[in-house]
Amino acid sequence: MAAAAAEWDSGSEAGPTGDRPSAAASPVKGNAALPEESDAGASASGSSEAKVDDGNIQEAESSLREGLSLNYEEARALLGRLEYQRGNVEAALRVFDGIDLQAAIQRFQPSLSEKTLSKRSNKLRSDSSNSGSQHAASLVLEAIYLKSMSLQKLGKAMEAAKQCKSVLDAVESIFQCGIPGVMVEQKLQETVSKSVELLPELWKQAGAYQEALASYRRALLSQWNLDDECCTRIQKRFAVFLLYGGVEVSPPSLGSQTEGSFVPRNNLEEAILLLMILLKKWFLGKTHWDSSVMEHLTFALSLCGQTSVLAKHLEEVLPGIYPRTERWYSLALCYFAASHNEVALNLLKKSLNKNESPNDIMALLLAAKICSSSYPLASEGVDYARRAVKDAESSDGHLKSVALHVLGSCLAKKSRVASSDHQRSLLQTEALKSLNEAISLDRRNPELIFDMGIEYAEQRNLHAALKCAKEFIDATGGSVSKGWRLLSLVLSAQQRYSEAEVVTDAALDETAKWEQGPLLRIRAKLKIAQSLPMEAVEAYRTLLALVQAQRKAYGSIKNGAEEDEDKVSEFEVWQGLANLYSSLSYWRDAEICLQKAKALKTYSATTDHAEGNLHEVREKIQDALAAYFNALSMEVEHVPSKVSIGALLAKKGPKYLPVVRCFLSDALRLEPTNRMAWFYLGKVHKHDGRLADAADCFQAASMLEDSDPVESFRSL
Amino acid sequence: MPNDAPPQPIHSAKDALDALAGILGGALPAPVAATEDPAAALLNDPDLASAVTGRLRGAGSGAGNDTLCRWLYDAFRANVPELQLAVLRFVPTLAGVYMCRAVSRKPLAGFEAVLLALYAHAVAQRGAGQAETVSLPNLANPSPYHDAKVPPKGKPADLDVAVLSPPLEPHGTMRATRRARIVGAVLELYHGKLAHMPLSSKMDFCEFCVAWAGTQSKLDGADRPRLPDAAAAAGAEKWRRVPLPWELFQPVVRIVAHCLLGPTRSDELKAQAARAAECLYWRAAETVDAPALLATRSLVRLSQMVEEPIPEPSFPSGAIENMAELEAMKANILSTKN
Repeated sequence: MAAAAAEWDSGSEAGPTGDRPSAAASPVKGNAALPEESDAGASASGSSEAKVDDGNIQEAESSLREGLSLNYEEARALLGRLEYQRGNVEAALRVFDGIDLQAAIQRFQPSLSEKTLSKRSNKLRSDSSNSGSQHAASLVLEAIYLKSMSLQKLGKAMEAAKQCKSVLDAVESIFQCGIPGVMVEQKLQETVSKSVELLPELWKQAGAYQEALASYRRALLSQWNLDDECCTRIQKRFAVFLLYGGVEVSPPSLGSQTEGSFVPRNNLEEAILLLMILLKKWFLGKTHWDSSVMEHLTFALSLCGQTSVLAKHLEEVLPGIYPRTERWYSLALCYFAASHNEVALNLLKKSLNKNESPNDIMALLLAAKICSSSYPLASEGVDYARRAVKDAESSDGHLKSVALHVLGSCLAKKSRVASSDHQRSLLQTEALKSLNEAISLDRRNPELIFDMGIEYAEQRNLHAALKCAKEFIDATGGSVSKGWRLLSLVLSAQQRYSEAEVVTDAALDETAKWEQGPLLRIRAKLKIAQSLPMEAVEAYRTLLALVQAQRKAYGSIKNGAEEDEDKVSEFEVWQGLANLYSSLSYWRDAEICLQKAKALKTYSATTDHAEGNLHEVREKIQDALAAYFNALSMEVEHVPSKVSIGALLAKKGPKYLPVVRCFLSDALRLEPTNRMAWFYLGKVHKHDGRLADAADCFQAASMLEDSDPVESFRSL
Repeated sequence: MPNDAPPQPIHSAKDALDALAGILGGALPAPVAATEDPAAALLNDPDLASAVTGRLRGAGSGAGNDTLCRWLYDAFRANVPELQLAVLRFVPTLAGVYMCRAVSRKPLAGFEAVLLALYAHAVAQRGAGQAETVSLPNLANPSPYHDAKVPPKGKPADLDVAVLSPPLEPHGTMRATRRARIVGAVLELYHGKLAHMPLSSKMDFCEFCVAWAGTQSKLDGADRPRLPDAAAAAGAEKWRRVPLPWELFQPVVRIVAHCLLGPTRSDELKAQAARAAECLYWRAAETVDAPALLATRSLVRLSQMVEEPIPEPSFPSGAIENMAELEAMKANILSTKN
């Protein structure tokens, strides 16, 4: 009977076909019986009364039951399915309403579960009564599943979910040991799979998110014998639900897990786990490629800053999925976000090769941006940025100001390492021009104003720099610390120390204790600049307390604050104190501070230089020189050491003057605003009798002295 | 916090509703006045919500003597969970207006008091010095959802631990440099309750996102931007672009992602969220901020993908082919019946 129905379904039903007598005769009878019912339903739904004629249903049902010797539930199931199939959802629903699932289950339950067990022990024995009741079960369960679908189509998600859940509950009570893979009829398996997949979606539609969550886990953690594609879809939807559901969920509790297994503790972990599993399935060829999985994973991992992990997954994607330039760009973004700038740039170089996509503006911008943070790469960055500007002009203006901005940054960076004055001033002018042009296109980007301010300050156009600094603070509402610091430093360069202090104090007011380090350092230096050593010591003491407290609080965290550029290191504080004490001729105190600094950082050019200073003031020239050279061997481009060596050698006699000049010009090439270097260079010229040159140097030194900030603008 | 004692302390949702009626000055919308469940009305009633958000957006709101801010503060501090949800419902407008105005450094003690109260709640909930972390799974270890060869000696492979949200330090005042962090943490709080939030609250949020980003969505036409908007001068207050450091950007993106891809069925919200995502993408492009670009680019791409439908029930094709035959038989039976 049920077997017959199945045959009528597809005619290709595999498995142990029922060998009941009615089966052979059924197709005709079935066909004859069914249309009558479908007519009943069709006429009902089509009639003006829009009411199912119950008499018709019953009539059809009874004729089916007689014709196919089906029971009540099975007959209703068949009728309902037909209605559903014809799109008469309401009619189908009315037919399905008559089915008592519980009664049906109780009938199937003993026979099926017993047979399941007996099958396990005796696989070869074919059992027709088992397959018969499986067909019956399949029919009824499908009916309830279709009932659920019908309800969903009528917008009754909650009821639909309850019906769908009852299908799964029924399956679980029939197959108490999970669904065995080999012996379940195909149709039944299909109904089970579809219901498993449907249920969480229905709960979601009904707004019952906790139930949705539970049903996702039930779907994935129980034995439903789902095929790979179905399981993949459920995993993906679950991951999406976890990522974006906005539902606070409790983690899965699994006491039975083996040791060392990963049990997610929150939504995001569970979502990432599922997405990674999905990707792996694809690598293993178990599912088709789904680009949304990678996008979801990208979203999740970039939110928690794990772009290097993301890069690994992107690299594992087999060729042929992403165009290679796109893959390179994505990877470059990942590596740049993870501060692997060199790797990122190499990938972009491949992508921007003339044979690939040399005009990809996003890649050009990224490449230029990476270059803008490094002196040696600045020149290369200028090239990328220029190409980006050109691109932006030809395509859309949206990104032109961005391109001009990075171009300005790269030019400015390049100007710092220019080999000649002439080239430097050219680059500086050009940098300002680009930044100006960028601002004229986009007046609302405070970052642009800030970079402009820095550039003006570096070129000692302090008036303009001051204007930019104020504008930046206005545009950001004083919420960005570096804006306050720029303003304070510019004021200090204008020798307006008390105003700089007012600004620093205002900034301290707007800054939480924990982030006050750089401001306190500026305050200490402002005190020194005003020749208030005792207050400076006090300021340093406050700073030291803060830094040490931070070390205690964050010391244990691995990826903690130490690399944070906005934090002052304890080393720096001792170093500053050492310099302060030595300027006050408190040699012993200075030495103690230096020892402390050395204990924190053994090899440091700054410490060696300070040590040299100490020797020098105590007339231990050889020791001082040795210390300075040590500093240079630590850091080849350590400007203060070069200047000190120059100054020291100059005192040793005329035969050293060429060497001295060498050191000093070298220092000036690296840091053209170093007034001490200009001063000593002037002395060399004077000694050599080049008075005009000497005068120029002295003038430069004096002008720089009048515009020297308490701290280099580059520290911002 | 406002200093003078509140007119009536708020202990329950009913108190809150009564107090709100006094503040809004007019009669409450009829369904709200008659409600059995004042907390649900406060959370969900659209008319009441638009009255409150209208006041929050109004000129001069958020000052130290703003009674509505006072109400939000008291209602949240009453420690009734349902009432707290009703307050959180207004976080988008509160944060939106506050951030836009804070840049101009107007006195906003009322807004700040509410935000700080919410922040303090977030700090207490999280625990002092606790970061919100995520352990990244390593597929070499088995998990509930997959099997793996159990590593030799049963030693699990190491996990990377990522910080989703750094520890929250207690803040008693709104310092400018911590503003983004505080508002960001309040948005994280809102994010945790998104499933309870009504649609209009999320719509408000997406609207403010677009304003915060200060960029133009390409959907709006590329030529309109950049020039100062003449309409702004005439009409209502123009919500302006605000600094979006990562600590604010990240929770914003998470909420937008929910609006875009969460289990909502509102196309209107999805469209608005897609717009917000795009604006945020262009904002990230402005500074070539790699993590922000990655996250928002994915959102924009996902917004353009079509969601896979739930499979329909399949019926054996044989039966469909038989349809004509069935129809014929049906006609046959009908005629015999008649």
